This record gives sequence, structure tokens and C-alpha cells, in this order.
Amino acid sequence: MRRRLLGVALAVLLGGGVVAALVLGNLGSGVTVVRGVIGSEKKPFFDDPQVKAAFAKHGLQVEVDTAGSREIAAGVDLSTYSFAFPSSAPAAEKIKKDRGVAATFAPFFSPMAVATFEPIVATLTQAGVVSGTTFDIKKYLEIVDKGTRWDALPGSAYKARKRVLLTTTDIRTSNSAAMYLALTSYVANGDDVVRGADAKVAERVSPLFLDQGYSESTSEAPFEDYLAMGMGKTPMIMVYEAQYAARLFAADGSISPQMRLLYPSPTVLSKHTLVPFDENATEIGRLLTDDPEFAELAAKHGFRTADPGVFAGLAEGTPLTRDLVDVVEPPTYDHLEQLVAMIEERYL
Amino acid sequence: MRRALLALALVAASLTACSADEPFRILAGSEVADLEPLLKESGVEVEFTYTGTLDGAEQVARGDAGDYDATWFSSNRYLSLIDGAREKLSTQTKIMNSPVVLGLKPAKAAELGWDAKPVTWSDIATTAAANRFTFGMTNPASSNSGFSALVGVAAALSDAGEALDAQTISAVTPRLKEFFSAQKLTSGSSGWLADAYTARPDVDGLVNYESVLLGMREKLTLVYPSDGVVSADYPLTLLAGSDRKEQYDELVAWLRTPETQRKIMTATHRRPIVPGVALAPEFGSAPLVELPFPNRRSAADELIGAYLNQVRVPARAVFVLDTSGSMEGDRIDSLRTALVTLTGADTSAYGTFSRFRNREQVTLLPFADRLKGQQDYQVPETGPEAVLGQIKTYAESLSADGGTAIYDALRAAYEQPVDPGRYSSIVLMTDGENTDGSEYLDFQLYYQGLPAEKKAVRTFVVLFGDSDVEEMNEIATLTGGAVFDARNGSLAEAFKEIRGYQ
Repeated sequence: MRRRLLGVALAVLLGGGVVAALVLGNLGSGVTVVRGVIGSEKKPFFDDPQVKAAFAKHGLQVEVDTAGSREIAAGVDLSTYSFAFPSSAPAAEKIKKDRGVAATFAPFFSPMAVATFEPIVATLTQAGVVSGTTFDIKKYLEIVDKGTRWDALPGSAYKARKRVLLTTTDIRTSNSAAMYLALTSYVANGDDVVRGADAKVAERVSPLFLDQGYSESTSEAPFEDYLAMGMGKTPMIMVYEAQYAARLFAADGSISPQMRLLYPSPTVLSKHTLVPFDENATEIGRLLTDDPEFAELAAKHGFRTADPGVFAGLAEGTPLTRDLVDVVEPPTYDHLEQLVAMIEERYL
Repeated sequence: MRRALLALALVAASLTACSADEPFRILAGSEVADLEPLLKESGVEVEFTYTGTLDGAEQVARGDAGDYDATWFSSNRYLSLIDGAREKLSTQTKIMNSPVVLGLKPAKAAELGWDAKPVTWSDIATTAAANRFTFGMTNPASSNSGFSALVGVAAALSDAGEALDAQTISAVTPRLKEFFSAQKLTSGSSGWLADAYTARPDVDGLVNYESVLLGMREKLTLVYPSDGVVSADYPLTLLAGSDRKEQYDELVAWLRTPETQRKIMTATHRRPIVPGVALAPEFGSAPLVELPFPNRRSAADELIGAYLNQVRVPARAVFVLDTSGSMEGDRIDSLRTALVTLTGADTSAYGTFSRFRNREQVTLLPFADRLKGQQDYQVPETGPEAVLGQIKTYAESLSADGGTAIYDALRAAYEQPVDPGRYSSIVLMTDGENTDGSEYLDFQLYYQGLPAEKKAVRTFVVLFGDSDVEEMNEIATLTGGAVFDARNGSLAEAFKEIRGYQ
């Protein structure tokens, strides 16, 4: 009884009247509201009525807030949530350690990818950065080192005087930028995973972030700009493959004929990892990992799951690749943090 | 069990404190006011409170926005640069988009050939330096459209290709001066700028949001600089301290349905943000390159500082200040504080940007039943501290006695010579009715007889104490100024707001 009363009290405190009604209704119908904080790229998944219905079958209602994965690991007050669901293994590892959580769940993953446009692909192919659907990070870094601008690339159809730079999220808050740092630092470190505060590597990769100017704190916002405003604002952008794949699978017309998806070489996998803080959240982790219904829904939202067949089935006949090559491991949380901290100093 | 009881007590407290019947409170920039009618259809009861972008950003950063559930400014970019601000924000969702561009009278656009071929900011700056057109723009320190325009022009003229830093800003300052030499009209808000422009046939166009320019009654030719623009994306932003997430989600979901997006596009001329909603023909087909926005607070502040102190057409500000007997006590104290605030005593960003600028001419005309003397100050190009100190010392010595001769004093302000190389304006602050000297009608006749260059000097009126609201409004209307109400707020805040119009 004591636990249940506390539960009601907390729910009321957290969500106000509406949640109170739900929880009170709950006592009769047996629906449990579970709140989590997640990376923004998973919000469409949790908002999907089919996903909500699938949870409801198990007596669960999942409410989510979004935040950058690095904020989830080190900024957000987690005490009001039942689980954290950042987009990377290093961030989850940190939360797991801080909160003394026994087991985590990694139900789905997505490689980092480059969303761009046909004229950009043509220009970058001529410049030797792109071949087929592969985006060569080493060649790209050489172009960035020289401060090359779009209008200076031979045969460029994109006549902007802007620097050739991939759009990313803010490295200080967001995971997709940290994943981008993981793969660029690997190349800048002579094809090796960075192990600590390497000043030379930081020096080389800093312009990738700082010279972009203002960047957004979540990965959905710039991707939306890419979709809605096109090449003028965002000629090329670092995304989770899942963001692009979800739009492609939905066939909602948001992926226009000029849009292209490239795979960086090397790439890293963003392993979306759920860290549960209570029993209900553990149940959510289990369902997402083991229940085929959720695996199918996750694939619909563009994520790859333990069974490669589910995603491959949907990706058939699309530009999405079935087999990922040249995948490298991200640095540990601490090493990645040290590198981020060195870049962060340069914002001051 | 004790914990459970405590929890129940908290439940009771929270049930009374937060009722679902209460409106969803939004602290908003005045530029989204045009959406208020549309939001009535959303099914969520929303209450708006309007404030300036920079002022609002600082309120949020200071943690003074606790009464609100969300913010809605044209952009969160400046806000994100302020230390401590990001932590105050929860989810943010972009609702629509509007680039800051140049709108010109069609005849002027045709004369310059800008209606037919791609034009760069660099072309525009060169043409401005040759005195071939004039424009109006909001003050970058108080309005987002002005700030976005300044960033866009500076980024484009700097020829750097990456985000602005201190070094690029100082290198681009001479080019910025060329561009802004053509600015003949300024304002603290986008809406007022559009109104003021209508009354000024000598100004050829406006730098403003595309949405404002497309909404003008008198059609303008829009020039989309081919080297890039800075756009507003209007993020509706849940504050971290709000417990109204459900209403926020409901409102955002409704705002982003294709149907609402189309309504927003039709009613407010803003571009939809949701992919798949086709653009109306009025937006044209010019490709829009988005220019990088500074990611360091120091760069943003440096740019605004350079604009105010070096780039803009310098101001001449005349302050007509009521120091009659009725000002005795708290009121004269408020006046002293308000003036001292403008000498650099307020060290917040908003306060810093409101101070008397380098190169500015400031005249103080304190009055009672007659003028109590005239104080003229010239703030130098560099090292303004000494002159600011003199203004501060004088302001602190103001005392209250005597009757109130408003119109004699205001007339004396209009007797001041007008320098065509300066942007002149008058601030009139009085706490009561006219008791001595000439009447409003006398002033009206006098004003109507003034030459055009003197008539162009606007009077910004501050309501204070027991001001005669009707007559004060008439002065503002007559001179094309505006009224600022400090009767229930602070005189310093009103003065800071007026600085955006000087």
C-alpha cells in the first residue's frame, strides 16, 4: 500500500492533473505509466500509436521527455524518471555506473550516415570524397583542413560561399555529434581509437564543430531543416541512418528525389541503450529487446535490431545498405568526454 | 508510513497549485502575436505575455520565467549562448520559418535592377554606400529581426565562410558601416518598424522578416541575397520548470499538422517547417543559403557592440524630464536610477546594450514651470567612461520642485538643431498634467509649422505617476512616436525599452 500511495503522489507531482487521472484510472484498469528520458531521434517511435498500443497490451503507458544524450548522461535530473534511453553505449555506460544499475538493454542500433543531395554527391565525387555511396572521412578531413568553400570546389553546382562542413548537432550536448567525433577522431588519430585527451587530435577535429557556427542540441531539429528547407540551409548532415530510413519506409513524400544517403568510412554504430531504474522500466527494456512485435515496429522506424532480417526486409529495393562495412568502436565514455572537453574550451 | 503521509500532503498541495483548467502560459516575442487568433482553434487554452527577445532571453537565463510554461521567440539562438540558459529549457520544437531579407518599393527595386537578377549583400552594401537607396531595420540589441540581419550581413560581407569571431568582426566593420549608412529608420520591434515605415515616404524599404514584408499593405519587391540569409525558426520551447508537458505536446502536435501549417502560411506568410507542405507561390523560387550563426556569446555581443558603437548612424537623444514638485520622493529617485542605468550601471547584456553609445549626443532638458537648464554631452568614439560619469553625476543631482510646463519644455526640445548625419529622437517623461506655460494645442500648431527635417524627430512618451494619458498619446501620434507605460513598472525598464527606438 505504501508503495502504491507514493506512486500516486509522485505521478501527481510530476504530471499534474492529467496524469493523476490516468493513474487513478489505473488502479482499476491496471495501466502503469512509466516515464523516461530519451534521445530525440526515438521520440517518433514512442509517439507511434502502434507502439503505444503494443505497450498497452502489456498494461504499460510510456511517457517520454527528450534531451541530448550527453545531457541525459550528465545534466538532466534523472530522479523523476524510470529509465534513461540515450543513443549511445558510452553514455549508457556512464549512467549505469553512476546509478549502480545491474543490467541494461540494447534493443536497437543504427549506423551514422550522411544525408545529402544529388548535386552535392556529384561535386564531392569529383573531389574524391565520395565514391558510390561511401563518404571518405580521410579525404573529407583534408578538404576541411584547407578551409575549402563550396563555390571553390571544381564543378560545384552549390555556389554557396560557405565552408564545406557536415552539419551536426552541438558537440557539447548531443550524441550524434559525439558519434561523429568518434569516427573523425579515429581517422585523425591515424586510424586508431582515441585513448585520452589527445591535443593534436582535438586541434584537428575542432573546426568540424566550431566553424559551423550555431548548432542545434538535438538530432531531429537539423534533420527537419534538411527535409523541409533543403540544400540551401543544410547541404549535408550527419544523421542516424534510422532517421532517414524511417522517412523512407513511411513513404510520406518527405524524402525528395534529389536526396541521397551516404555511409561514412569508417562509421560507428549508435547503440541505443535503455538503462532501467525500476521494475517497470526493466519490463520495457525486455519487451523492446525480446518481443518480435517491437522489433518490427523498431525496424519500421528505421532501426536495426538483433535479427538483421527484419530491417533487411524493409530496406529491400531502397538505397539503404544491408551489410555495414568499416565499422569502428567509439572511444570509452571518459576518453570521449576528455576530447569533447578540449573542444568545449574553444567555444569560450 | 510517515513518507506516505508526507507524499499525500504534497499531493493535496500540488492539486491545488496546479489545476488543468489554468491556461498554458507562454512568454513570447511580440513577433508571434499574429498567431494568437489562430491558436484559439487549437483546443488548448493559451495565455500570451509579450516581451523583447533579448529581455526575454535574460529573464529565462536568470530563472525569472517561473510563471510560464513555455517560451516562443523567433529564435533560441541568442538565448542558447547565455550561460545557464540551456538548463532552463526542456523540449523545443520549431513551428515555422522566415528568413530576414530586404524589401524595396517596386520602383526602387526596378531602378537598381534588383527585381531581375541575383543580388548579394556585398552589392547591397556598395549601393548603400553610394546613397542610392535607404532602408529601415530594427535595433539588433532589442529585436531578433535586426540581430539576424546584422549577423547575416556581417557573415556575408566578411567573406569568411565560417562562423563569425572577434577578429572577423573587426575586419568587416568598415564594410558594415557602408551598408548601415543607408539606414534611416530604427525601431525596438518589427511591428512598429512596419508602421513607422508607412509614414516615411523617403525610406525606400525595410530589412525585416520575409513574413512581415509579404504582409505589408503596400507591396514590396523582395530581394533574397544570393550569398545567404539568417532565418527565424520560431521554436515553441517547454520550460524545464513546467509540469504542463501534455498541453505542450498537444499544442505542438496541432501546430505541426499539415492543415495548421497551411493556415499559418496563409495567415502569416511564414514558411511551413513540416516536410511535405507545398510552398505558396508568394515565396518565390530563389534558393536560400543559410549563413552560419555565431556559436560564442562573446562573438554575438561583440557584433552588437560594434554595431552600436561604430557602425550605426549615431544617435542624438534629447530627454525632456519632468522634475516638478510632484516628482518629490520616490519618483525623482526612480528618474535618477533610470538615467544612471543608461550610463552603464546595468551590467546585464540587455542593460549594457541600452547604455548611451559611443558617438551619441545626449541632451538632458529637466523642467518644472520652466526649463531648468540644458545639459549637452558628446560621448566620444572610444573611452566613453568619463562622459558617462558626468551624465551619472548630473542625473544623481536632479531635484524636484516647481510647476509643470510640459509644452514649453517639449518645444525647447524641437528648437534644437537637427544634424542630418544623426538619428534624432526625443524622450518625454512627465508624471502629471500641464500646469504652466503653453497648452497642447499651442504645441500642435507649432509642430505643424516645423520644417520636414524637424517634424521627422519622433517623441517617445513615458507615462509615469499621474500622466495625462490622452494628451500623451496625442503627442506620440502627432510626432510618429510611441507611448511606454511605466505607471505600474519601473521607469528604468521603460527607458531601456525606448533605447531600442533611438
